[in-house]
Amino acid sequence: MNRHLNLLFTAIGNIIRNKVRSIVLILCLIAVLFPFVTALSISEGIKFQSLISVEEGADIYVTSDHYGSNAPISLQHLQRFQKMEGVVKVFPRVVGRSYFANRLATLVGIPAENIPKSIRLMQGEMFREKGEVVVGKGLAKDFQLQIGVRFTLSVNSSKIFKVSGIFDSDTTIWSSNLILMRFEDASEFFQMRGMATDILIYTRPGYAPLLAKEIQENMGVSNPDSSGPPLRVQDKSLVKRYFQRGFNYKAGVFTALFTVALALAIPALLVVSGFGQTERRKEIGVLKATGWQTQEVMEMVTLENLVISLTSAPLAILLAMAWLKWFNGAFIAQFFIAEIGLMAPFPVPSRFLPLPCLFAFLFAMVLTMVGSLYSTWRTATIPPAEAMR
Amino acid sequence: MEPIIRTEKVDKFYYLGRPEEVRALNQVALEIFKNRIVLLRGPSGSGKTTLLNLISTIDRPTKGRIFLFGEDISKYSDVGLSRIRQKRIGLIFQNFNLLPRLSAWENVAFPLLPLGVLEKERQKRSVEILIQLKLEKRVNHPPEQMSGGEQQRVAIARALINDPEIIMADEPTSNIDAESVKNLLEIFTDLKRKGKTIIVSSHDPIFLDFSETIFFLKDGNLMKIEQREKP
Repeated sequence: MNRHLNLLFTAIGNIIRNKVRSIVLILCLIAVLFPFVTALSISEGIKFQSLISVEEGADIYVTSDHYGSNAPISLQHLQRFQKMEGVVKVFPRVVGRSYFANRLATLVGIPAENIPKSIRLMQGEMFREKGEVVVGKGLAKDFQLQIGVRFTLSVNSSKIFKVSGIFDSDTTIWSSNLILMRFEDASEFFQMRGMATDILIYTRPGYAPLLAKEIQENMGVSNPDSSGPPLRVQDKSLVKRYFQRGFNYKAGVFTALFTVALALAIPALLVVSGFGQTERRKEIGVLKATGWQTQEVMEMVTLENLVISLTSAPLAILLAMAWLKWFNGAFIAQFFIAEIGLMAPFPVPSRFLPLPCLFAFLFAMVLTMVGSLYSTWRTATIPPAEAMR
Repeated sequence: MEPIIRTEKVDKFYYLGRPEEVRALNQVALEIFKNRIVLLRGPSGSGKTTLLNLISTIDRPTKGRIFLFGEDISKYSDVGLSRIRQKRIGLIFQNFNLLPRLSAWENVAFPLLPLGVLEKERQKRSVEILIQLKLEKRVNHPPEQMSGGEQQRVAIARALINDPEIIMADEPTSNIDAESVKNLLEIFTDLKRKGKTIIVSSHDPIFLDFSETIFFLKDGNLMKIEQREKP
């Protein structure tokens, strides 16, 4: 045990004594690891917020099916769904987008009593009267919207809205550009009376798959006898899978790109870790000549790498946290969230989970090992006289 | 009496099989006995350092066998050779080979690290030897703050830290002044008194009168062996 402790302290001593080399190596590792850690934390943050939204959402979403894509659905279906066994609640929703000044805002028309619980009113009150809306905190802050302010939107400028409240939400990514209003106002604004973008069905526990199947079979594409356009049914598990697949795919693409960058970084790190290699070679020769064994030299160098990695990975994580806090994940967040530009107009969601942090440490370890272990082993296994020459 | 070191027809080639092949040692056979002061003497390029490297186990012969303490070390593994160096041989290099960023006592204590000796004990043992070698004022100084003679005494202290039976020195007088040479000879005499075997590779004539056994080398060949009275 004492021997290992001695080697550990010697490794730490070597890192401190070779300051320049150690600092350059740590900086290189941080430069490589920081985008990776930031990206993974953003990906995890978005995934987490998406899942909150899905969990809070309906059990079944029904739309019309036009050529395999979602399309508005007639409100005539509402009564039919309400009568189905196992259905607890049914309501229509309108979701659309329109420019608010230069910002693309998402408009949601929904009965006030069905607003998700994660949406918390900060100021004012929920919309009640015709034309009243509640706006997201981010939008209100950026455009200095206050209670009572009236505004119009680009799609239909004849429709005047009035801010009745400002809300905050756990899901910043969705809510920052969100404007919530009465279903009727949204229908009127998008000029789609009698239609909804989707109908949300809440069911009793265990009924969702059966009901989804029933709706799909009776009114879906597979039933040529159904009247009107066929329906498209998506249950909660399917929506959850879509989200996860989408973000896993993006995270996967980012990891692939990062791996390429890593492959390019390895030669650079080899060069950096090769600084003072002649001196190192001589040092190893002296160690071997004074009785050190190859295994002990390797252990000392591995411990040096371990300490370097243990220093670099947390620093990369801290830098990623700082980047997200002060720069809102600029340059990296755009990869995961469409149309946000360089600086996202809302707090980019992020989550630092243990596994990506462990990956960061492992990456650092692999990189330093690749840079030093083989050359050390080669030097340690040649006769010491040759290593010292 | 059994020799402490014996070589049998030892050859050493550098760049073996290449056009620039060099035969550094040619069929060298010698015997070194315990508690002797031995000199490997010869002009530059005669093979004395190569021979010293081989018998100190920091290099391997191309052909031939080397016996240390009665055992054939030619087939020893890397681990086996490291153990011999760790416990039974102390090496003093021509340019000292001290680690530049370490203090004198840390340089001396370096061989103790893999033995699991804790820092307090390492420091105590190193400082004791440094005091014996009159380096008490240089204990915490790095090599660049020391003279050539002082650096050499640190290198000697490092060679002695594990109390080896054999001390080998390569050209020990080449980088030190006359006063330091005098000190060095005193240290070697003292070590011999303590029962150590001293092997020196040098072309400095000062060692001629000092040594008991002299091996004369030329162009990699052992030309002559001289045995003398104990100094």
